[in-house]
Amino acid sequence: MTTTNLELREVRKSYGGLVAVDGVSLAVEGGTIFGLLGPNGSGKTSTIRMIMDITAPDGGEILLFGHPRRSEDLARVGYLPEERGLYRKMTVIDQLVFLGEIRGLKRREIVPDIVRWLERVELGGRGASKIEELSKGNQQKVQLIGTILHKPDLLILDEPFSGLDPLNQELFRALLLEYRQQGKSVVLSTHGMELAERLCDQICLISQGRAILTGELRAIKKRLGGNSFRLSADGDLEALRTLPEVEQAVIQDGGVAKLLLHPDADGADTLRKIVDLVRVREFRSEEPELEQIFLKAVRDAA
Amino acid sequence: MRLDTIFVIAKREYMQRIQSKGFWIATLILPLFIGSVTVLPSLLASKARTKQSVAVVDETGKVAPELTAKPAAAKDGKPEAEFVFKTEPPGSDLKAQRAALDRRVLSGEIDAWLWIGRDVLTTSVVEYHAKNVSNILSQPVLRDTISGAVRRVRLRAAGYDAERVGELSQPVELETQRVSAAGSRKAGALSGAAFGYILFFMLYVTLAIWGQQVMQGVLEEKSSRVIEVIVSAVKPFELMMGKLTGICAVGLTQFCIWLLTFSVLTLPGILATIATLPKGVTLPTVTPFMVLNFAFLFVLGFFVFSTFYAAIGAAFNNVQEAQQVAGVAVFFLVIPVFLMLRIINDPGSTFAVVMSLIPIFTPLLMTLRIALEMPPLWQLLLAYALTLGFLWIAVSACARIYRVGILMYGKKPTFQELWKWMRYST
Repeated sequence: MTTTNLELREVRKSYGGLVAVDGVSLAVEGGTIFGLLGPNGSGKTSTIRMIMDITAPDGGEILLFGHPRRSEDLARVGYLPEERGLYRKMTVIDQLVFLGEIRGLKRREIVPDIVRWLERVELGGRGASKIEELSKGNQQKVQLIGTILHKPDLLILDEPFSGLDPLNQELFRALLLEYRQQGKSVVLSTHGMELAERLCDQICLISQGRAILTGELRAIKKRLGGNSFRLSADGDLEALRTLPEVEQAVIQDGGVAKLLLHPDADGADTLRKIVDLVRVREFRSEEPELEQIFLKAVRDAA
Repeated sequence: MRLDTIFVIAKREYMQRIQSKGFWIATLILPLFIGSVTVLPSLLASKARTKQSVAVVDETGKVAPELTAKPAAAKDGKPEAEFVFKTEPPGSDLKAQRAALDRRVLSGEIDAWLWIGRDVLTTSVVEYHAKNVSNILSQPVLRDTISGAVRRVRLRAAGYDAERVGELSQPVELETQRVSAAGSRKAGALSGAAFGYILFFMLYVTLAIWGQQVMQGVLEEKSSRVIEVIVSAVKPFELMMGKLTGICAVGLTQFCIWLLTFSVLTLPGILATIATLPKGVTLPTVTPFMVLNFAFLFVLGFFVFSTFYAAIGAAFNNVQEAQQVAGVAVFFLVIPVFLMLRIINDPGSTFAVVMSLIPIFTPLLMTLRIALEMPPLWQLLLAYALTLGFLWIAVSACARIYRVGILMYGKKPTFQELWKWMRYST
């Protein structure tokens, strides 16, 4: 049985005259990695801050673990903000104990966990070092431990991979997969579509404060992918954009274009027109990339 | 509002600061400084209290006998300098005699020589020759001694009984008594003012320093981006109150160390043995009730100013931006400094009472008034009530700015924006 760890119903927030979040609804089940996707400034961080009760929504409902959010529910949530950092002058242990204590944990309960975690991320001997003495990569590890120290059931990570070195990216990825396996939930906010494509089970696309596409990633791709083609050709690929059947063309290096045709356009008919424009080497149907779906969804919504 | 999280935040602030070397250096430097400017000169001066042998050449032949007959009058039974006068008759070659006396000073046989001219009774000038002519402690004594001798010679010449005149023209001393509810007690007026002065500036310095520390602490949390991690677990108001409580405890610790140092130094007997007190100065007595009031006023003052500093720290992005607005707080800290002298002069005046009842001045001015004379209880209670009311308004306004400001990066906010933040709903 899966539980809904997080649910938003028609949540909205505006700052002065600016509408940051405009009626967003979504549900995150246990055992899933949920991608909150969208360009910078689309309302992802505002949404997350409302989930974390850092700001209050102007309207709508936020449910955690199956009931309207209570303040004690937040102790079961691990949050890694986009703007993140540590007290530079504190030692690693003191810092982590402090992060545990503000969530109501007791020092003696968490110190063994801290030691275990530090060893796992190969920082076993650095407990007494000050944060400022650590390399940036090691500071990121400490930050990560601080986020999960209280064993949260729901993990909310805002742009977790930005600024991470490859080693730590792998560490994060392993952790996310571990969480999914344990039946817990991860909400991943990012503007990196490639990354979301690899990790997420479910997505919510946000643009200008509105959720324009929500659901299971595979189903979305299936639904929207019927008319997606990969074209390999020589010549002026830009000319493809002039065809009325071509809804979207993403042109890549090496004479490759990813085409998204109108739902009622016929692939074979379109190919005939393309042949008039460029020298075609290859033309085949394929699953669309998340980025294409995203661009189409944004345009349709506008 | 959860008290346990406020406590966790406060504990972190307190421990981090109390464990730093900077705190102890700053805390110990002030008593050392005060100690060095009060005790040290007295210690050094007591070393200078040695016998000086002085050769006296008296052309009149009348003054020198008075000098040798009457040694320097001891003020407190303990003369600050003692002189041994050795009279020598003026020779035939005055120039050669002067040169010989100089040589004896240089060789160390005598410390100094006096030349009392023939017309001393009219010119009132006596020459003093020594290697060191800047001994501020012994010279006044020497001058008084010679003046007395010359005066007696003049009185006798005018036909008066010099001893009798001396007795009759004895000056009076002001024995200052402090009137309080507990009854009159001897207390030096001068020492009361000095005590108020020292306490006032101790408070002034701690409020200014720790207010700045609050501002820098908030700015640091913002610039290191640790703030959002914290407010995901703790309400901004709890974070602010925890921070203020923790740093207030640090400031109070420092203030207590200073107060303790001061009271240990002024324990009867201790100061007297290491330093000579000027005549007429008795040490003020500090009652537990006074200490209680001082501590309470410190906490009030700290919260009044630091809440403001916290809001500024939250609203701006760096110290430079924040410093400009922080000047407003400094302005309100400085005004009492200008009012201080008038209040020391008359601590019970309407002016003093009214000024010390203005909430933003209460912490500094009430402290000063209590040090000078204990104000009536109703004035204390009224001042505390007014300040607490003011504090409530200030905290709620500043907490709103703080709440919004800590998550805002980038642009420096305008005053219109700060005003808007204050009116945002939670």
